[in-house]
Amino acid sequence: MLRVSGQVEGQAVELTAVTDKTAGDAGVPHGARLLAFTDAAMGEDDALLDRERRALRAVLSPEAFVDACALIAAFNVVDRIADATGIPLDPMLYAASGDVRAELRLARFGSAANTPGAV
Amino acid sequence: MRTDPVEYEGARTPVRDDLREAHRFILDKVRSPGTWWSGAERGAIAAEARGAARCALCRERRQSLGAVRGRHDGPHTLPENVVDTIHRIRSDPARLSRSWFDGVIAGGLEVTRYVELVSVTSVMAGLDYFARALGVEPLPLPEPRAGEPSRNRPAGAKEAGAWVPMIDPADAAGPEADLYGGGDFVPNIVRALSLVPDEVRLLRRSTDAHYVPVAQIPDPTYRRALARPQMELVAARVSALNQCFY
Repeated sequence: MLRVSGQVEGQAVELTAVTDKTAGDAGVPHGARLLAFTDAAMGEDDALLDRERRALRAVLSPEAFVDACALIAAFNVVDRIADATGIPLDPMLYAASGDVRAELRLARFGSAANTPGAV
Repeated sequence: MRTDPVEYEGARTPVRDDLREAHRFILDKVRSPGTWWSGAERGAIAAEARGAARCALCRERRQSLGAVRGRHDGPHTLPENVVDTIHRIRSDPARLSRSWFDGVIAGGLEVTRYVELVSVTSVMAGLDYFARALGVEPLPLPEPRAGEPSRNRPAGAKEAGAWVPMIDPADAAGPEADLYGGGDFVPNIVRALSLVPDEVRLLRRSTDAHYVPVAQIPDPTYRRALARPQMELVAARVSALNQCFY
């Protein structure tokens, strides 16, 4: 969906930025700030999170900043549910994501074992 | 008694009404009797999930390549095997495996109660990550509501390739007819909790407010104040950090 939504917006999204912390802004407006804020929110360094929060709020509207917080929440929910119930990736999504999975080397994640053929 | 409205008074940024209402809804469900756990037990699961974020044993386990034995930070009101299950799901979901799950079930935790525990633990993680990202204290846990679990196991739930039984969309009938919202495509993440249908309803309410309505997920033009590529970039990074293949 990252790649497809980028195409809709006319943006050439650099997928490797998802897993490569040196890959810049992913070709998405304020992408570097969003990624740094996400990393900080997922980490344990409160001072770093304060800095990244201020930096992100400086470039986003208040509503967009809250959206970023909500997305961090949303995917911490669904990732846990997916990994704790052992669901496989849906066949349709599996078929459509082969190049992305290969580019990001997602088969190295332990939960790949839940999807037949993924490892 | 209605659960109090959620306010984020310490936030420097206003939180939209649908998010605050979703958070009130989640807290109300967490404190209420569920399908297999009482309100007090669900509240205790929520408290353990919150505590796991600061648990010394969980931190040591995350940093270790091997097995680390010990006791989770307490006090605890739930059995030790339940506490450990909650802490592992909350603090290190990337290391959950089929063999671990089989051990949890063999240890005496019924799969129905496990699924409900996964739901409560996960939605609490969401609430607490939201507060952390926003820069406010986590929402206080409300007092539990009295009453008995409904103990309703849906007849349509069956083995479907996951660790836990799930309801196929074609079998979502009767009391479960509303479960998937009638969409053409029901991803496994929406089906994952369907052994306990009310937890699917809770997840859908949470997802609708925090991400996008489930029916709109496949529409790449659907967006919020953040553009969709910005939204998906944050989502993908979270999942990468959690090492979630799904």
